[in-house]
Amino acid sequence: MPHVHFHLNNAVGLVHDGEGQEAADLDEARAIAIENIRSILAEDVRHGLIDLSGRIEVTDGDGRLLLVVPFADAVTIRTDNAP
Amino acid sequence: MIERHLMKLRARDEVDAEEEEAIRGTVAEVREYRSREVIVRSHRALETSNILLSGVACRQKDLSDGRRQITELHVDGDYTDLHSFTLKSLDHEVMALTDCTLAVIPHERLQEITRRFPHLTRVYWFATNLDAAIHREWALSLGRRNAAERMAHLFCELHVRLGLVGLVDGESYALALTQNDLAECLGLTSVHVNRTLMQLREDGLLEFRGGRVTIHDLPRLRALAEFDESYLYLERRRR
Repeated sequence: MPHVHFHLNNAVGLVHDGEGQEAADLDEARAIAIENIRSILAEDVRHGLIDLSGRIEVTDGDGRLLLVVPFADAVTIRTDNAP
Repeated sequence: MIERHLMKLRARDEVDAEEEEAIRGTVAEVREYRSREVIVRSHRALETSNILLSGVACRQKDLSDGRRQITELHVDGDYTDLHSFTLKSLDHEVMALTDCTLAVIPHERLQEITRRFPHLTRVYWFATNLDAAIHREWALSLGRRNAAERMAHLFCELHVRLGLVGLVDGESYALALTQNDLAECLGLTSVHVNRTLMQLREDGLLEFRGGRVTIHDLPRLRALAEFDESYLYLERRRR
């Protein structure tokens, strides 16, 4: 599966990826999805928002779903107070 | 052949017939590069510089794990690496982002220009100062502007720079870059670029589709980016 598409599905709506990019295998596709989620989360945090309800759906060239990566998979959340 | 280069110079200075002939005489050959080909490698001894005749090229630097930052885009008429005339090698690469045609200018011919034409020396000195001004503006974008402002700013910059060389049609221009190219210009990722493009489209500011940028509301796009074109030094005056 060299050429895959990364569609974003979150509170804002669906952002379809018509262009896609190369990924050697599912592991690489997942790593790319995680990097993309972190970039988006980082931007949201600058605006005072942490929204983990989104996901990235990875499809092949024919639109077959290969992988779903929830935003929550991209981060470790720590909420306990520092001692 | 170097018409757009002359257009760009003449947008900011006067270039007389004798000077024009001297500039034309600097071109030793014309080379074609395919999209993604490296035009100038970093850290190599260089004896030529290049004028981009057509296409989009970039300056880029990367880290060992593949993270890459494009630090400037070059369009028709730009010298992509005039700097190597004095630096003798480059600390970054110049790469073709689309199929590109370049004029090759031997440094010895630039040497001759600087000897015979002090004014052209200043014209080209100005050109490298202008590149530095563009780098400063990109540093401001990458450090402080958010994704939408950063993207809006890039599209405003290209609108002005392509306009100078006659490549803007109304408020629309060709830009055959991928989402990933934009991501590497803007310090984002491709999905993030896609989301930001959708945001600008839904706000009625611009559309980027099929290798073409169409600006729907230039005043609002400029306001979002806080685009102040003074860093592009558009005044036509004797340098």
